[in-house]
Amino acid sequence: MPHQSLTELEDAVLAGRSSDGDVRAFEVLIRRYTPLLRAYARRTLGSTDELDDVVQETFITAWNRLDRLEDHARVKSWLMRILSRKCIDRIRARRDHLDVTDLEVAAPADDAPERVAEARSREDAVEAALAALPEAQRRCWIMKEVLEYRYEEIAEELDLPTSTVRGLLSRARKNMIRLMEAWR
Amino acid sequence: MTEPDSARLDALEPDDLDGHTIDELADYLDAGMTPADPSIDESPACQNALAAIVRLRQSSLGALEAAAAAEAPADESWIGGVLANISLEARAGRDVPLRPLEPTERGVMTEGAIRSLIRTTADAVPGVVVARCTLDGDVDQLGAPVRVSVEVAVREGVAIPATATLVRSTVADVLDEQTDLVVDAVDVVVRDLLPRRTDPLDDPATEEDA
Repeated sequence: MPHQSLTELEDAVLAGRSSDGDVRAFEVLIRRYTPLLRAYARRTLGSTDELDDVVQETFITAWNRLDRLEDHARVKSWLMRILSRKCIDRIRARRDHLDVTDLEVAAPADDAPERVAEARSREDAVEAALAALPEAQRRCWIMKEVLEYRYEEIAEELDLPTSTVRGLLSRARKNMIRLMEAWR
Repeated sequence: MTEPDSARLDALEPDDLDGHTIDELADYLDAGMTPADPSIDESPACQNALAAIVRLRQSSLGALEAAAAAEAPADESWIGGVLANISLEARAGRDVPLRPLEPTERGVMTEGAIRSLIRTTADAVPGVVVARCTLDGDVDQLGAPVRVSVEVAVREGVAIPATATLVRSTVADVLDEQTDLVVDAVDVVVRDLLPRRTDPLDDPATEEDA
């Protein structure tokens, strides 16, 4: 393509070409979204050497299923959802089931408000508040607020009753709002 | 003077939110605040809590984007590894038969290879980038009529009707020359406009003027 560089093309065009088998277009999507996917995986799995693998698996799965992506403009959130599923699988493999005690603990760490208050930007403050949430609350919050899953979808992915997901999100909301009150 | 608000937000129980739970408020927001509920819309406490939820949503995504910006760009050898692990066959589509030159010959071309041919051909038309192409019809049956649809993005400022005609004719020609498809029609759909090129390398005059 002498007159056009793929890197400046929109997601929808790149996803369409990838679906048709254009590896170079897919490579542009890989470059574009690897940092975001790594950041998401890091937040979910922690800084482990699994990050590269789980992001690679995400792109391979995406490539194989591109014909099922109905709205090509939504390739970014679609990639994040594939990754989210892979991360949950990894967590399951680590410890068989979601930690039940984790579901019971509602309160963030004592020093959390202090760390939120010290944040330099609103984004850093959210990051600190999220880090302070109990793990199950954090996971539900991210699926709901970042990936825009519905309650039922979160329940299905996490293999939990919808009522439990609603309860976790309720506590996560209150915790997040209260923690963020510390940041002004 | 935000102290009273923060005191109210700190509680977040129905008594503090004019009878609503924080979850009802979040669901109300998810539903696009329709149908309108005056008991929420007219409650300062609820409006406060709704604003807090909206701010949190925005910064939750913003925080992830910020974390992404702090990640290193994808490592080249890692990208190479991903590409080496994807299967071209997954996107190859149907097998399209070629007209045999010998009775014993059974040649095929994959649908993916034909799409690639169409893409390369149409991309070469000035101002055009192919988004997708589709082959409609029984392409796995030799001689069956096929309708080709090419979705393209066109650079702003390019004459669209003339460009679409050129795409249609060059694609029809290349399919006629290089495949045994019986093409009924080539439809060109202009899906997007690409922003006008601003790269000064493309237009040295602009650079000198600037």
